[in-house]
Amino acid sequence: MIWVLILLTWEMAYRFIGWKPWIFPAPSHLLDAFLGLLNFPTAFGDPIHRGWPRAAMEGIRLHAWYLSPLIHAPLVSGIRLLGGFALSITLGATLGLAMWRWIELDKFLGPLFLGMQTLPSVCWVPLAILAFGINERGVLFVLVMGSFFAVAISLRDGLRAIPPLYQRAGLMLGARGWRLYRYVLLPASLPALASSLRQGFSFAWRSLMGAEFVFIAVPNHGLGYLLEQGRNVSDVAQVIAVMIVMVLLGILADRLIFAPLQRRISLRFGLTVE
Amino acid sequence: MSVADFTTTLPRLTSAPKTAPRGELTLSNIHKNFNGSLAKALSDVSLTVKSGEFVVVVGPSGCGKSTLLNVAAGMIKPDSGKAMLDGRPISAPGPDRAMVFQDHGLFPWLTAEQNIAFGLKMANVHKSERRDRVAAALQMVHLSQSAGKLVHELSGGMRQRVAIARALVMDPAVLLMDEPFAALDAQTRTLLHEQLQSIWCQTHKTILFVTHSVGEAVRLADRIVILHAHPGRIRREVKVTLPHPRDFDSPDITQMVHLVRREIEDEVNRVNAQMAGDYWKPETADDLGSHSVNLGDGI
Repeated sequence: MIWVLILLTWEMAYRFIGWKPWIFPAPSHLLDAFLGLLNFPTAFGDPIHRGWPRAAMEGIRLHAWYLSPLIHAPLVSGIRLLGGFALSITLGATLGLAMWRWIELDKFLGPLFLGMQTLPSVCWVPLAILAFGINERGVLFVLVMGSFFAVAISLRDGLRAIPPLYQRAGLMLGARGWRLYRYVLLPASLPALASSLRQGFSFAWRSLMGAEFVFIAVPNHGLGYLLEQGRNVSDVAQVIAVMIVMVLLGILADRLIFAPLQRRISLRFGLTVE
Repeated sequence: MSVADFTTTLPRLTSAPKTAPRGELTLSNIHKNFNGSLAKALSDVSLTVKSGEFVVVVGPSGCGKSTLLNVAAGMIKPDSGKAMLDGRPISAPGPDRAMVFQDHGLFPWLTAEQNIAFGLKMANVHKSERRDRVAAALQMVHLSQSAGKLVHELSGGMRQRVAIARALVMDPAVLLMDEPFAALDAQTRTLLHEQLQSIWCQTHKTILFVTHSVGEAVRLADRIVILHAHPGRIRREVKVTLPHPRDFDSPDITQMVHLVRREIEDEVNRVNAQMAGDYWKPETADDLGSHSVNLGDGI
């Protein structure tokens, strides 16, 4: 309701005060940008006239909606994310576990990783370009470097928070060697694992968007490319529309995957009460 | 496996065992000094818990009673001295010396039943036998109704009962209990004292129990071992000859509690005076006496 009111006011401001749409587009322009990216060109943003909101379509041939950039780009980004995130979790979890297990390693890597975690992921781009060139491997490199430090650090911290009592109880009950890991420490670390996944995902998503934004010459076009394309043709509406899509997809992934996962684990452990 | 089976597989306290005794815990000349502390946590402590005996160790906070228990469990290695169970040296924690922790230490990702089954699973006990033994253990602590509940769905008393069942189901030679009822309210504690007493009467497990509550010690023990602090040393042993099962409200128990408490208060006063001495040095013995206040503090 509040959102409707805000959008209406915004739209009215454009219609009656005369804000310039090439600087600050109205909701109707954003709608046009969305539908345009879905291969449905419209002109909601135009002054209302006969034939509104149909767009002028001379000489433009469009593919079907399922071949549109707004469908294609998130798919490309999604596939990159899946691959890169899987790699980043594997690497991060391994190192996080190792840092928890061997204090000497943690003394050496811990501060380094903490520093790396604060490094904005875009700072990996020049290195990626020099090392791998402008290709998928470069994108992947930025994604992994931008997220696996966070996974490692948050997993290590989570593992450290496991009450030592569980380990003692496990030993007392005869869980030795790998069985202590498999049946005591692994389940005990589930809450930590879930939150490190969630943390890692948001880092990975951010890194990917940044990487795609720079690596526009890579043949497959992700969401970041659409953003840069919008800037290139000075289409502010498209830029903002794509940003909104990025945010919405981030929220969606969190709501559909990570939040429910963490909630289930918390309930099981009695960390939250329904 | 029923409760009766539990009892037949174990030597009785009264009848002399014909085979090698099971559950005889021997700690001899145990010394333990933790890094950075001046006084020894344990200094030359020797204690033998006979098969089927219920021994309770009491003493003021910091007297090393938990350390002693952890040495028996194999969680802490003594600096010197020997810890043996049935003639074999204790080197690591294991299910033959099952422990009940103060904060239960149950696994929150498992149900009550799964927690109890955990040790059997680690010992590769077959599934059907596991089920029977878990059911018997649940029955012994009167928790058959709550088998499927998660740990956080159980009350404090129930958690501690699951922890006891988890230890008993392993059929350990010795049951080690580290202030298991300290965090419970008085009613629940009394209830659990009664249950533990009846479990002990049924199984005649060797039990080494640590507490700071004298009342608890007198209710449960065959023998009470009173520890000194700074350094941790055995001060006295008191035999409680009252027959089991005991009526906790009987005047005998009350009288015994007074006696033992007197004994510990003296000890606490000595320690307090010693610690006060860091700031204030007594000139004479009389001087010391007049400043030893806070009777019973720390019990």
